[in-house]
Amino acid sequence: MAASNIGNDDIEDMEFQEENLCSSSSSISDTKFDMTIGHIEDIIMDDDFQDMQQNFMEKNYVHFEDTEENKFIYTDIFKEYTDLIEKFIEDKLTARMPGFVMSEFTRQLQTRQNELSGEIFEILLTFSDFISFKEMFIDYKAEKEGRTVDFSSGFVITPCSQQLEISSQNLEPPTS
Amino acid sequence: MGLLTILKKMKQKEKEVRLLMLGLDNAGKTTILKKFNGEDIDTISPTLGFNIKTLEHRGFKLNVWDVGGQKSLRSYWRNYFESTDGLIWVVDSADKRRLQDCKQELHSLLLEERLAGATLLVFANKQDLPGSLPSEEIRQALELDEIKSHHWMICGCSAVTGDNLLLGIDWIIDDIASRIFTMD
Repeated sequence: MAASNIGNDDIEDMEFQEENLCSSSSSISDTKFDMTIGHIEDIIMDDDFQDMQQNFMEKNYVHFEDTEENKFIYTDIFKEYTDLIEKFIEDKLTARMPGFVMSEFTRQLQTRQNELSGEIFEILLTFSDFISFKEMFIDYKAEKEGRTVDFSSGFVITPCSQQLEISSQNLEPPTS
Repeated sequence: MGLLTILKKMKQKEKEVRLLMLGLDNAGKTTILKKFNGEDIDTISPTLGFNIKTLEHRGFKLNVWDVGGQKSLRSYWRNYFESTDGLIWVVDSADKRRLQDCKQELHSLLLEERLAGATLLVFANKQDLPGSLPSEEIRQALELDEIKSHHWMICGCSAVTGDNLLLGIDWIIDDIASRIFTMD
């Protein structure tokens, strides 16, 4: 619409400029928003984040049991976990983006409610999901106690050529 | 409110309902939960912590939290109030001796700020037991007619036979849905 106004009188031109200014300022905030999301993606993929998660599980996994009923202490640990992650993300964002204010960002999130799609939001949501949290601990505990199925023990890797030799050797006894 | 909490609240727009099931010990909370979910109810032992089930019902996603009711556990109930849309109060209708205790616990819950917006369903459970009080008498014993702060209903039921469980759950969903989901 704006483009069709080009070449008309001065007043129309002014309008065109205003529109232009408007759209450019909104794209700055778009860029900042997208940048923040990008940083969050980097932060949670980072080794520091994985270490933090690992340490937290190491410290707390003894309380967990693979039963349907939950202990009250899970709720305390869950609260501590979400607080820890929130603080971690906020601290890292502040370090990466001078002047970053979390409350401003969460306000933007709420105005963009319908545009939030993608893996990053799914991941963030699992951090605040109690069932996922419990499963994570049960898995960690099973791994610690060596109760996971070790598929690697079922395989023997032998070079192709050698395997052929073995099978040809195997063929010999019946004929003799 | 932190980042994760905000995201979670935003995501709950899809017909998701959080129900908190409380009541004195041995009222039948876990049995109701399992029966409603179509699970075996023969080997249920007293709940010392809490159970969570996510059920799909009539296009709603129900997150039901069932917390142990023994006296020593009741102080933990408060940790589960947040974001509750519906409170299901389960009563052992055959336990006449503890109806006074039952009434007091219920009425003190209704004063909780974080439960202020919740719909209340009272399940007068164990109607299959001989000697159990009908829901009308439970209604009087618990002084339900005094409640003006919450939408409420009482429903006689049996977790063992499954009688009226659906009726109660459907009512609480309808009430919550009319409050929450028509605002969009």
